[in-house]
Amino acid sequence: MASKKLRRTGLSVELCDRLKRHQIENCQDLLSLTPIEVMRLAGQSYQQVLVLLKSVSQSCAPSMTTALEVWKQRADLCFSTSLPGLDRLLQGGLSRGTLTEVTGPSGCGKSQMCMMLSVLATLPKSMGGLDSGVIYIDTESAFSAERLLEIAQSRFPDYFSKERVLEMAGRVHVFRELTCQDLLNRLKRLDEDIISSKAGLVILDSVASVVRKEYDTSLPGNLAHRSNLLGQEAATLKYLAQAFRIPVVLTNQITTHVGDGGERGAVSFTGVPSEEGSGYVTAALGNTWSHSVNTRLIFQYVDARQRQIVIAKSPVAPFAVLNYSVQKEGIRLEGNYDNQEVAHQGTDPGLQPIRVWTGFNYNLMKDTCAASGQLKLL
Amino acid sequence: MQRAVSSYPFAPSVKVKLLNAGFHSAADLCDLRPLQLSKEAGISQEEAVEVLQAVRCEPGQERAAASQLTALELLEREQELGSIVTFCSALDTALGGGLPVGKTTEVCGAPGVGKTQLCIQLAVDAQIPVCFGGLGGKSLYIDTEGSFLVQRAVDIAQAAVEHCGLLAEDAEQQESLKEFTVETVLSNLFLVRCHDYVELLAETYLLADFLAHHPEIRLVVIDSIAFPFRHDFDDLSQRTRLLNGLAQQLIQMATNHNVAVILTNQMTTKVWNGHSKLVPALGESWGHAATQRLILHWEGTNRLASLYKSPSQTEATVRYQITAQGFRDVPHSNQPKASVDPTVSQSGSMSKRPRMEEV
Repeated sequence: MASKKLRRTGLSVELCDRLKRHQIENCQDLLSLTPIEVMRLAGQSYQQVLVLLKSVSQSCAPSMTTALEVWKQRADLCFSTSLPGLDRLLQGGLSRGTLTEVTGPSGCGKSQMCMMLSVLATLPKSMGGLDSGVIYIDTESAFSAERLLEIAQSRFPDYFSKERVLEMAGRVHVFRELTCQDLLNRLKRLDEDIISSKAGLVILDSVASVVRKEYDTSLPGNLAHRSNLLGQEAATLKYLAQAFRIPVVLTNQITTHVGDGGERGAVSFTGVPSEEGSGYVTAALGNTWSHSVNTRLIFQYVDARQRQIVIAKSPVAPFAVLNYSVQKEGIRLEGNYDNQEVAHQGTDPGLQPIRVWTGFNYNLMKDTCAASGQLKLL
Repeated sequence: MQRAVSSYPFAPSVKVKLLNAGFHSAADLCDLRPLQLSKEAGISQEEAVEVLQAVRCEPGQERAAASQLTALELLEREQELGSIVTFCSALDTALGGGLPVGKTTEVCGAPGVGKTQLCIQLAVDAQIPVCFGGLGGKSLYIDTEGSFLVQRAVDIAQAAVEHCGLLAEDAEQQESLKEFTVETVLSNLFLVRCHDYVELLAETYLLADFLAHHPEIRLVVIDSIAFPFRHDFDDLSQRTRLLNGLAQQLIQMATNHNVAVILTNQMTTKVWNGHSKLVPALGESWGHAATQRLILHWEGTNRLASLYKSPSQTEATVRYQITAQGFRDVPHSNQPKASVDPTVSQSGSMSKRPRMEEV
């Protein structure tokens, strides 16, 4: 509660007025000052200022709890992805209150995953859903309502009758935001939308497209501005995830990372074997952004049909690889669930190479498209 | 004694009155009694007491006796405080027995390298009963990123409890195991979720009182210090000022309340002479903030921990891994093997340090 007005923190009226003359009106203004500055502005001694700062802190500090209290409410800590292998590794699914990022090359199934999760969130609790609305912020115009209904009906043919599928579609609220400013404004006011649509899941598809379109990072200053913007978006989404105890899913794009072959200090980039000389493909938006997401899932190609989910960063799961394919009903895991490749080492999620499918064979792709319902060629 | 009155942290009105009454330096004030001063300068009696106390607390006078220690006394005190083991014996050795209590340690690292894992591990390890060589304390975890997941804390606590169960030999250890369960570990792990830097600052102002009420706390984790300070700041000098104040408060707290303070920091990409390099975030001056600095980084698929700044230990780089049980040694490496036998002492001061079983 950084914006709490000082008047409501129990300070005397004279003091509030005095501070107001210096444009200090809320807790943020006051706590952003050092005690010495407060002394000068409030005209008080050091001891009095310490007491003042403490009482203001008291009224805006978050409450304290213990891990046991949180653990007692574990029944609703997770949102199942309905992919058993993935759920098992993530200890139940997507963790509520955190940001999960899905990254990968275009056409690999990121938006498919998002639409599938939207369907799941609307399911009743008895079927593993959240029985809630969904907020779907679409910045790439990749959302397809038709595909949403198709996933729903193919995945749960028994449950989704004609009326139910329409009701489901009515609970998915899609916002199209095509510029950075619009997106940021939307996020700042998203709490209202979450309440009014009773949303239990927020999806942002994708966080990368608008930022990458508007910021040419080769120009000086743009990079710092971009990280600042992304930091604000991440902080807002984290706050919403935590405050409403809901999972937030973001998608990200990929970029070519040019490894510097030159001198390497102990902390500098270290070589991850790449197939094409110095450059390889990794998640976009850079290192600072990678810090902001709690979980990173990489979707990548093995060949035209076969794809993989890589758990590249997770507070609970080890580094692991799962095979999947995009089907009519959305994402489907393949292979024996108990026999997945689990490796504890992994590598830097910011530098984890992502396999892309480069050998485009048009006929083959067409076949795949036919087999897997919808898949964009580009 | 020659310190000017105007340089003291008094309220401006008090300063003006003192100066008007002819008190210019501390020497002018030190012989007065409060009642005389209040009369002379025309300030209230409470203000006079405060002024005189502040003047007397000048270093070099009475206070000096209390804060003056010989190195020998300091050595004894530091050994008494002990340290928190990490369950990675290679890292413990590099740190001189574990994370030192009474000091601040900064952990920097790339995303996903295991900073949060190390923090959760330490928050559990700080609670290992005394008879197992632990501190038997409690922990406070200030989460600014939302990355503390209780499921993971349960895993790590479970592994630590089971590990101690394997080591228990005598009756005292058996007895203390009854108190050392996953449930008690979780209930002694205090959690605060701060959403922005203002809440973090507010929390640190309150921390001193909280620690005074909970003297068993041995570890304060701030995960991470970087995230709230890396956006929303147009004025970087303001950020530096706030961070310096925060660092100072934390060092004070670590010393006064005998807690280990651990801060995590992110890494940022710095382009320098056409080469991009990963460096700890928050700028150069922040590098002075913590007493120790540990950098976690990747080398291919290996995780490495490097001790970069430490007043007592030499710089070292060790390998570690994150397993289902938590933060652990890398088995079958070139490093000296951790002894599985708990009675064999390696670090001198700690006779029953818990060791990991071979995974």
